[in-house]
This record gives sequence, structure tokens and C-alpha cells, in this order.
Amino acid sequence: MVPVLKTLVIMISSKRRSHAQRHLNTFKAGINYAIVGLSGSGKSTLLKLMNGMMVPSRGTVLVEDCKPDQRDRQFQKIMSRIGYIPQSLGLVRNSTVLDNVMMGALPRMRLMQFLLKRYSEEDLEEARRVLDKVGLLGKEDRKTYMLSGGEKRRVAIARAFMQGPRILLADEIVSELDGTTSREIMNLVADMQKDTRLTAVMIHHDIRLALEFADRVAVIQEGRRVMELGVDNDTILDFQSGDSTTQEILEMYDDPKE
Amino acid sequence: MTPKSNLVIGMIGALVVAGSWHIEANPGEFVDGLPNLWLLGGEVVAELAEVEYRMVDRAFWSMLETILMAFIGTMVGYALAFPMSLLASRNLTSKWVYAPMRGILAAVRTFPSIMWALLFVIMVGPGPFAGVLAITMYTLGFVAKLQYESMETIDADPMDAASSIGLSKLQIVRFVVVPESASHLLGHLLYMFDYNVRQTSILGLVGAGGIGFYIITHIKFIQYGKTAFFMLVVLITVLIVDWVSVKLRDRYVIKSQRGVVADVP
Repeated sequence: MVPVLKTLVIMISSKRRSHAQRHLNTFKAGINYAIVGLSGSGKSTLLKLMNGMMVPSRGTVLVEDCKPDQRDRQFQKIMSRIGYIPQSLGLVRNSTVLDNVMMGALPRMRLMQFLLKRYSEEDLEEARRVLDKVGLLGKEDRKTYMLSGGEKRRVAIARAFMQGPRILLADEIVSELDGTTSREIMNLVADMQKDTRLTAVMIHHDIRLALEFADRVAVIQEGRRVMELGVDNDTILDFQSGDSTTQEILEMYDDPKE
Repeated sequence: MTPKSNLVIGMIGALVVAGSWHIEANPGEFVDGLPNLWLLGGEVVAELAEVEYRMVDRAFWSMLETILMAFIGTMVGYALAFPMSLLASRNLTSKWVYAPMRGILAAVRTFPSIMWALLFVIMVGPGPFAGVLAITMYTLGFVAKLQYESMETIDADPMDAASSIGLSKLQIVRFVVVPESASHLLGHLLYMFDYNVRQTSILGLVGAGGIGFYIITHIKFIQYGKTAFFMLVVLITVLIVDWVSVKLRDRYVIKSQRGVVADVP
């Protein structure tokens, strides 16, 4: 399989020490990756580098052979097919669920269509299909600020899938939810990822959830991948270890304080 | 309270006293003048009793004209201000666009409405049209500032999410900026209309139409009772407009869920 995401050197602000050691992170197409790491290890920055919101101080990031930069015309075309769910979700609070979801389809709409919000029958059909998948059918006209935390996440997921994405970048989408809701939402995203065979890179705060739902788990420390784990028949496989051992990483997550 | 803030308060106080001395403000004159108010009051009540139908008729139609002028001026000024405020928002355009746009708006804002009215009376002749133009210009300068300031305070997260999807500036305006600042924008509209009804009432002073014409005429002929009658009409109208705008604000601007009826399945 051809790698679609290549990131080389992650940290933007390498303040004191040389975080920014040359290190190649490659994400292969069609695989569901989870990224774990302590807070401040550069997980969110990694995602923002891949969708072009941030640019690296040095080194190169390549997404589908294009350098991500939101001001770049060539990348703007790719961007419309990258589903991005930030930690804050980035929903428009005062808009309806439908309008939020339709934002995913805006890049393919014509001027008058979006100015007057006269969505085409195909787009409406697609929105209903996606909303049905995330379990929000019938709540299209609700204002987003009235929804619960779990429902808001479902809206953000629906918006990402409305893009018809080839890549999905998600930043701790289940962090504030209870166990049951987290599992539901993770199942949902994992199913949709399998259906559409897209490349997913999702950040997790919980390594157990990551191991449960992802094909591969990349452990990030100071902006670079130190280890890549996979799961096969409940056995954790160590694909490519760096400085730390699998055991150390798992212990790190067992300690609730750090 | 820190010594520094004491010093600042002391300096402001000293400035108020020194300033009052400079403009020859005299509290004694104010107290001495109070009986004049009683005399005026008696005169006004006596004259109000003699108000004829002709004056009620005049007051009604001129007040209606005033409201219409304020309404048209508010709406047109508001509509013109909107695209300009988008261009003046620092989070939507580059420095090369917002800096000159802010300059233009600041220049428009330097004139009070009565000065605009004077200018337009010279330009298009006396009458309500000059007044409407004056209100339009005043609204444009004032409301555009309110608009771009509230656009600049909207949450950056949905904006970032939208630009990460690859939306154009216009799409971001339509799907993020407008809904996120909608309640502010409506609030500004209500506030501006409210304010414009008051100021349109005095544009007649320079011949720019509305009920102010009667007020200034009766003042010139020292007919305080008739003046008071027209001012009373303005007062009542302003109170009504104020009340309506409070009701609309409650309904559409304030977004608390307090008291909202929840569906019980």
C-alpha cells in the first residue's frame, strides 16, 4: 500500500533541547492509526501539521505528496477531503445540526446554493444517510448548543464524513465522555473507517481504547514516534520500538497522575 | 485600593473641579433656577389643556414621518455597514484591507448625525430625505464598528474547523460568522433603531424633516406648552419603541434555557 501521509520532524517550537530530531513518521493508506502520548508531547500539533493549520519550522510534512498549507491552492483541494475533528469539535453553536453537517459538503457547492442554503437533493440525501449512521436522524433542526456532549461529537463526526474523506484526523474525540458513550462513538468511527477504507489518525488519551479500536498505535514523545504497536488476537505486537519499551509505555498510562 | 489607583481617582476628581471652574459652572445658579421650572410647568399644563385636534393631527403625522425616517435610515445604513464590517474584521481579512476600511469608517463616525443632516440639507435640499441620508451615514459609521467588534470576538475554533475543511471566506462568513454573531447583530439593529428614533426627532432643527421641525418652531415662538406637547409625543413613542425592542431582545438575543419547556416523553 502506498503511504499517504509522510511527516518528517514534528515539533514546531523546539525551545531548549533538540526535539526536532529527524524522524520519519509514515502513515499507510487505509489503516486506522491511534496516537498516544503524554500531554505536551506534540500529538495535537502533529494533526495540525497534517491538515496545514500549522507549518513546521523545519523539516517536511507530506500529505498525498503535497506540503500541507491552508493558504496553498493545490492543498486546498486535498483539504476538502481531510476530515478534521479538533478537540473542541469546532461546531457552530448557533446553527442547526443539518447546517453544521452540511459544512462538510460546502466545498462542492455553488455560490447561490450555499448563500441561500438551498441544498441539493443529493447533498440532503447524503446528510440524512450520515446522520442516520451517527444516530442523529430526526434531530437535524436542533440548534447545536442544545445538544449533549455525546451528541455534539456525533455531529462533528457526521460533518467529517459528509466531506467524503480520504483521511480522518481526530483529536481526543471521546476524552470527556463516560465509558459506554466513548465505546459507542469509537465503534461508530471504527465502522465508518472500515466502510470507507480511509486513513485515520486519531489521538487518544486512553491507551486501552487505542489498542481496542485502532489497527496500529503510535506512541509519540516530544513530537516523534518512539514506538508503533499493533494488536493481533489480543496480543500486543511491538512493530518498531524506540527509546522506551512497550512495558514502560503501558505503565506510564497505568499511573493515573502522570 | 493601591496608592496608584488612589492617585488616578484623585487626579480625575481634580480635573472635574478644574474643568467646572473653567466653564464657569455654578451650582448656585442651578438651585436659583429651580423655581423657573415650576413656572414653566404651570405654563405648560395650562397650555396643554388647550391642545387642539389640529396639533394632535400634526404630531401624529410628523411622528410617523420621524419613525419612518429612522427605520429607513437604520435599515439602509445597517445593510451598507455589514459588508464593510466584514472587510474591517481583523480575523477575516488582511491588514491591507481592514486598515483602510477602518480608517474610512472612523472618518464617517466623526460626524454627529446633526452635522450629516446639515450637509445633506445643503446637498439635496430641506426635507425628510436629507434626514434619512443623515441617519444612514450615522448608522453606517456607528454600527459597522459594533459589527466588526463582535465578529472579531467570535470563537476561533469553528473558524479553524471551517477553514480546515477548505471553505472559502464567503462560506465561512455565511456558515460561521453570521450564525455565531447573529444575536449580537440583531441586538445592534434594535439598539440602533431605538437610538435613531431619538435622534431623528431633532433633525428637524436643521430642516431635515420629522417632528423636530415643530419642536424648534414652537421654541422660537416661545410657545413652551406646544413644545412640551410635541416632546411628550416623542417621549411616549420612544418608550414604546424601547419596550418593543426589549421584548424582541428577550426573545431572540438572550439565549438562556431558563424557563424553556422541556418535552416530557
